[in-house]
Amino acid sequence: MLSVDNLHVSVDDTEIIKGLSLRINLGEVHAIMGRNGSGKSTLANVIMGHPAYEITSGVIKFKGTPLEEMEVFERARAGMFLSFQYPSSIPGVQVGTFLRKSVSAVRGEDAPSAREFRKELKAHMEALEMDKSFLSRYVNDGFSGGEKKRLEILQMLLLNPTLALLDETDSGLDIDALRVVAEGINSITPTAGCLLITHYQRLLDHVEPDYVHVMIDGKIVKTGGSGLAAELESKGYDWLEV
Amino acid sequence: MMQYPQISIPPRSQHLWRYTPWKRIHPTKVEEMPESDPIRFSSGEDSQMDDSEEIARSFIHAISKSCKKIVLKDETLELDLRCSGHICSGELNIESFGNSTLIIRISGDAGWTGLRIIGNVDGTLSMATINDLASDGHLLRCEDWFVGRDSELEFATLSAGGFLNKSDIRVDLTNRGAQLRAGIASNGYSSRHDDHHVEIKHSIGHTESSLVMHATCDDSSHSVGTGLLTICEGADGSDAGQVFRNLLLSEKSRAESIPELEVLADDVKAAHGAASAPIDVNQIHYLASRGLSREEASALIVEGFLMDAFREIKSEEVVTVMRTRLLVHLECLMNG
Repeated sequence: MLSVDNLHVSVDDTEIIKGLSLRINLGEVHAIMGRNGSGKSTLANVIMGHPAYEITSGVIKFKGTPLEEMEVFERARAGMFLSFQYPSSIPGVQVGTFLRKSVSAVRGEDAPSAREFRKELKAHMEALEMDKSFLSRYVNDGFSGGEKKRLEILQMLLLNPTLALLDETDSGLDIDALRVVAEGINSITPTAGCLLITHYQRLLDHVEPDYVHVMIDGKIVKTGGSGLAAELESKGYDWLEV
Repeated sequence: MMQYPQISIPPRSQHLWRYTPWKRIHPTKVEEMPESDPIRFSSGEDSQMDDSEEIARSFIHAISKSCKKIVLKDETLELDLRCSGHICSGELNIESFGNSTLIIRISGDAGWTGLRIIGNVDGTLSMATINDLASDGHLLRCEDWFVGRDSELEFATLSAGGFLNKSDIRVDLTNRGAQLRAGIASNGYSSRHDDHHVEIKHSIGHTESSLVMHATCDDSSHSVGTGLLTICEGADGSDAGQVFRNLLLSEKSRAESIPELEVLADDVKAAHGAASAPIDVNQIHYLASRGLSREEASALIVEGFLMDAFREIKSEEVVTVMRTRLLVHLECLMNG
C-alpha cells in the first residue's frame, strides 16, 4: 500500500533523510523509533506532503500512485491520515464544524448524513472519553497536550483511513489517556496500515507492532519484531551506531 | 454650540481623520448640506437628539429627518435599519435596562448612509451590529455609549457591506464596575475601505474594557483600525486591553492598525498590541491533511479568524447571529 524507495529529503538545503526504504501493507503496524533529530517526524511530514520538505531523490507511492502527483488534500481523500505531533490551532473554527467538513471532504459520496454523523461522532467521543463540550471549542485552541492527541485520534476514527501515520501520539498522555488512545488505534488497524512514530515502549505495550524499525541519522539501521522495542528500552541506541 | 457647517474641517494629522479624511467620507462638497432620505427603522418611537460639536455627528444631526428611541428592558430586539436613496441618514437613541440583547442590521442600497447612535446601559446589554449595505454604498457611523455602575456592554460588529466605511465609536465607562467587551470583524474584499476608530474612556477606577478587532484583507482592500484608550486621572484599578489583528490575503491589500494609550492613573493594567500576517502555512497544511482543498482551507481559516474577534463576547445569542450572518456573507461572496 505504501512504498518508500531510497528516499532522500532536505529542509533548507540540509539533508535529513538519507536513503530510506520502507513498505507498509494493509493490516500491518510498523513502529519507528529513534533519537530526537533522527528524521522520524520528517518522514511522516514528507509522506503527508508538508511544503517545507523537499524530496531530493527517491519515490514514495501510495496505492501505486507516486505521491508527488498528489496534492495534500488528495492524499487525505485517498485514505492517508497523519496524527500530528503538534497539531495547528484554528481559532474561531469550532471542532464540530471542522469535523463535519473534514468528513464530508474525505469520505465524499460515502459521507454520512447529518444524523448518522452525529451518531458516529457520539460513539467515537464516548469511546475516547471526550465530553461533548469539545465540539463547540475552537480547533486545538487552548487545548492541553492530551486533549490535542484525543482530537487527533477522534479525527482518525471518523475519517477511517487506510494508512494512519501517528507522530508521537503518545507524548503528553497520562496512563489512562494512553490506554484510551491505544484502543482507538487498535480499532482501525485490522483494516488499515499504521506507522507509529514513538520514543517509548509504553505505547507499544498497548499496540503491538508487526515491525519495529530503528532510525538513526536519516536511515533505518535495523528492523525487527516487537521484541526490538523492549531491547531498545533496556539498551538504548548506542549499540546500533555504525 | 458651533454647528455644522461652521465647525472647521479636521486636519489629517488628527488620529481620527488620518486614513479617511472628512472630505472623503462627506457625501458631497463639505460646505454643502445635502437633502437626505430618512433611515427606516423597523421599530422605535420618534425622538430627538442634541447636536454635537464633533463634525461627523453634527453633520448627521443636521441632515437627518429621522430620530428614533428604543428602550430595552430585559428583552431581545432585532432592529432593521433600511437605507435607500442617494443620501440617507438617521439618529437612534438607545436605553437599556436589565439583561437585554439588541441585534441591529444595517442594509439597503443607499449611495451614502449616515447613522448616529447614543446609548446608555444600565444592566447588561449584548449587541450585534451587522453592516450589510450594498457593496457600492458609503457609511458614516458615529456611536457614543455610556456604561453605568456595575453594568456591562457587549459590543459586536460585523462589517461586511459597503464600499467606503468610517465608524467612530466611543465608549465611556462612567461608573465603578462598568465593563466593555468589544469585538469587531471586518472583511476586506475588492477595493473596500473599512475604517474603525474606537475610543474607550475609563472615567473612573475599577472599570474593565477589552477590544478585539480582526480584519481580513483581500484583493486591493484597505482596513484601518485605530484605537484610543484613555484611563483618566484617579481611575485606579482600571483593567484595559486592546488588540488589532490583520490577516493579509493578497499583495495589494493594506492594513493599518494603531492602538494608542493615554494612561493618567498609576495603578492600572493596560495592554495593547497589533499584528498583521498572511495565512499560516501550517494551518493550511493541517486542514489540507484533513481533505480540504487550498481554497476550502483558506475559506475556513478566514471564517474562523473573523469569528475569533468575538471570543470575549459571552452572549451565545449574539455569537450565533454573527456566525450565521458571516456564513451567509462569505457564501454570497464566494458565489459572486
